[in-house]
Amino acid sequence: MEIQIKLYGSSKMLSENETLLIKLPENSNIGHLREGLKKLINEKYSKNNLGNLPNSAAFFSEKDEIINDNYQLKNKELISIIPPIGGG
Amino acid sequence: MSIHTALVKNEEQKISIEKAKKFIYSDDHGAESIFVGRVRNENSGKKVTAVTYDAHDQAVVKSFQSICKDAKNKFDNNAKIFLEHAKGYAPIGEISILIAVGTGHRDEAFKICRYILEEVKHQSPIWKKEHYADGKEEWLPGHSLRPKKEVK
Repeated sequence: MEIQIKLYGSSKMLSENETLLIKLPENSNIGHLREGLKKLINEKYSKNNLGNLPNSAAFFSEKDEIINDNYQLKNKELISIIPPIGGG
Repeated sequence: MSIHTALVKNEEQKISIEKAKKFIYSDDHGAESIFVGRVRNENSGKKVTAVTYDAHDQAVVKSFQSICKDAKNKFDNNAKIFLEHAKGYAPIGEISILIAVGTGHRDEAFKICRYILEEVKHQSPIWKKEHYADGKEEWLPGHSLRPKKEVK
């Protein structure tokens, strides 16, 4: 299955585009997405200081609500990654 | 209308203190508290030249409304509240956040202002990238919104 991740904050270092396409096994959930991201960062972005991102980020559904690790992903779903926040 | 909130795109307009003062004014109010956050030229010993603010627009607007409503319920239902935050590239001196509160008495005005600032930092999906004099740039660490029971 393919998931589109809308990038915010430090996760923008993962792509020059607004979204990142990530391939996961069928029936994956947010927990699996975290693992997929961890692998991608280790392989391609180890110098970007993003090692903690898969563990510290939250994820929003298309309804802009926080979804937990058991949330079942749908093929082609658009998910927002929410790295630790710091406005003000 | 007693609450105004907005995410202001710096390329299109600037946050205005005058607009905020006008919004919160009321003959019923004996106190006004205004907090202005600005981009400063130093952080942790590094010379900062500007900050870029990124935001999840819809979630920020939703969180701003919810924070302001909570503040009114908690401290003063008759308060008038103005809250704006910048988005995009902001050079030194530019306003990053403006909170203006009008209430009957000073205690509520101060409390609401402080409450909103702290809640924005802990609830609103906004990110800060600092640009440094040596040409480098860095996304700043922040507060995780991941449900606490899940964090390993």
